[in-house]
Amino acid sequence: MSLTADVPEGLPRDRSAPAQRSDRQAALWGFAAAGARLLLIVAAGLVLPALLFTLWWTATERHWVPEQILPAPALVWQSLAELWHSGELQSHLEISAARVSWSLLIGGSAGLLLGLAMGLSKTAKAYLYPTFDVVSQFPVLGWIPLLIIFVGIDEPLKVSAISLAVVVPVAVNTLHGIANVPRSLFEVARVHRFSLPQVIWRVVLPAAGPSLFTALRQGVMQAWLTLVFVELLASSEGIGYLMVWGRQLMQMDLVVVGMVVIGIVGVLIELVLGTLEARLQRWRPAAY
Amino acid sequence: MQRRTFTTLLGAAALPTFSIVRAQSLTDKPSVIRIGFPNAGTGGRPVPTGNFPASADQLGEIAQEFKADGIRLEWKYYAGAGPALNEAYANGLLDFAFGHGDLPLIVGRATGLKHKIILSSGRFGPTYFVVPSGSNAKTVADLKGKKIATFKGTAGQTQMIRFLRRAGLEEKDFRVISLNSDDTKAALATGDIDGTAGVVTPFDLEARGIARTLVSTDDPAITTPGTVWVGETFEQSYPQIVQRLVTRLVKVAEWGTHAENRDKQFNLWARSGTDPYSNYKTDWGKVTDLRTRINPLLDDYYHAALQRAIGEIKEFKLIRKDVSLDGWIESKYLDTALKELKLENHWPQFDAKGVPKSKAA
Repeated sequence: MSLTADVPEGLPRDRSAPAQRSDRQAALWGFAAAGARLLLIVAAGLVLPALLFTLWWTATERHWVPEQILPAPALVWQSLAELWHSGELQSHLEISAARVSWSLLIGGSAGLLLGLAMGLSKTAKAYLYPTFDVVSQFPVLGWIPLLIIFVGIDEPLKVSAISLAVVVPVAVNTLHGIANVPRSLFEVARVHRFSLPQVIWRVVLPAAGPSLFTALRQGVMQAWLTLVFVELLASSEGIGYLMVWGRQLMQMDLVVVGMVVIGIVGVLIELVLGTLEARLQRWRPAAY
Repeated sequence: MQRRTFTTLLGAAALPTFSIVRAQSLTDKPSVIRIGFPNAGTGGRPVPTGNFPASADQLGEIAQEFKADGIRLEWKYYAGAGPALNEAYANGLLDFAFGHGDLPLIVGRATGLKHKIILSSGRFGPTYFVVPSGSNAKTVADLKGKKIATFKGTAGQTQMIRFLRRAGLEEKDFRVISLNSDDTKAALATGDIDGTAGVVTPFDLEARGIARTLVSTDDPAITTPGTVWVGETFEQSYPQIVQRLVTRLVKVAEWGTHAENRDKQFNLWARSGTDPYSNYKTDWGKVTDLRTRINPLLDDYYHAALQRAIGEIKEFKLIRKDVSLDGWIESKYLDTALKELKLENHWPQFDAKGVPKSKAA
């Protein structure tokens, strides 16, 4: 029995419908209402961007801001299309993505290990946490001069600076995640005489899962933020470089293209992480 | 009724504004003149270098010119060089640029910045390709695929591209990164770059064993004269002020062409810390007649060099719109200054190729 066939004739006869039909009708209405609500939420989310876009458009149209400072949306779109067709944008993005991936791998695993160590062992925490706490207060910017001396200005500088930016949020969130695992779970584990790998695999990781994902998310966010900054230094490629280059040549449209690309990539990563998290946490629907 | 009240209110609000504008046009003088240099000393210290406008600032000549009028002078020194100066002007923060290089000058014009070229800040000079002292390279071509530095977006970049082209190479043959001159020197010392062109004068680095010159050239086709410009609005509002400033600058330029002032001005420029006195001494060593490099003229060579630069910059795809010299160069202030100071024949005119006209004839 197909649902679609019922809808056109079913709807107008709503009130006089027999009881068994009204159930389906109610379900349909509920469906429609849910759809409308979703539409409203999406629309509400679009109001601010639409307003900003109108402001941008009007500001350039009426020359409120000099064209050298704020490019027109049409020009930005044109540059975006040109850069895409020439393949330049993809190659910049590829290089930036590689830098971010390496840093996430290095900084992320270092952060995870640090967080696990400090979360699981009181001794490790006693030795490591005070230093970690102080060091994590330094902004990445403060590390740059020192890093330049040690690793030069090439690729290692970029990867190490971004890794440093990733370590802190990952470690902190891992630590908090473990601290929030109910003690009773550890007691059960002890009763079952779990080994350390078992404790980590069967207790800590599932229970601290949401925090670990938060850690990963913040790591990714920090990585992209730092990437743009690091690529301002001594680069000849990458999205951040594209933005600096655009500024040097007063082609602000390139700067805006860079911003748009970073925004889109950010949203995509967020979506992927969200889906991944939802899948891994399926056994615990309340978590997401 | 209501509308009339509104109009009256509007008029009352506008009145003070109008009266200020009137007061200004009656006395024909601004309350402030904002002058920008596309360089700052080492560590951002506010000391310009390398040309006669820099000397004029350091000698306090411009300040003296306008002291009696009560006009305030605002000096700005952009460590971000020509591109930063363009941004400042686009934001309405500048009236004059003292010595803009060809690339940022033309890029600014191509994006629609409105200014008038009033004189040149100097011309010619050697270009050096410098490598770390440990480098095995014998020619620039040996460095293909390696990392070289220049200050992108400035005249240093165009200078480098022309230099490479002369050796049958192009920018794409290298990994070109952007560094300012201080950072370039540091990167040569640490071996982080394999070479640099257009930014660094190498003699102090050579003396300290940090770097060596791979090749250098005096070819006038590699460099473009520097430019002094005034914002169009300022020029239209205060032509007399522009004239006085240009005359004063030309006077300083003339001072700088006398052999007895050679060392004095090198010492002034060394104050910025970018290059020590010895660098200027060697860099200018071959210049017997200072008038060839310290030259404010907008002669055939200036026009031809700027036109050539526009073509090249377009070819290198650094600008998208074409730039025309029509209505851009305003030489009347310079002409008047030369006449007033009786310096019409002081400076040699150069032909389009950069050869002195008297010699060429």
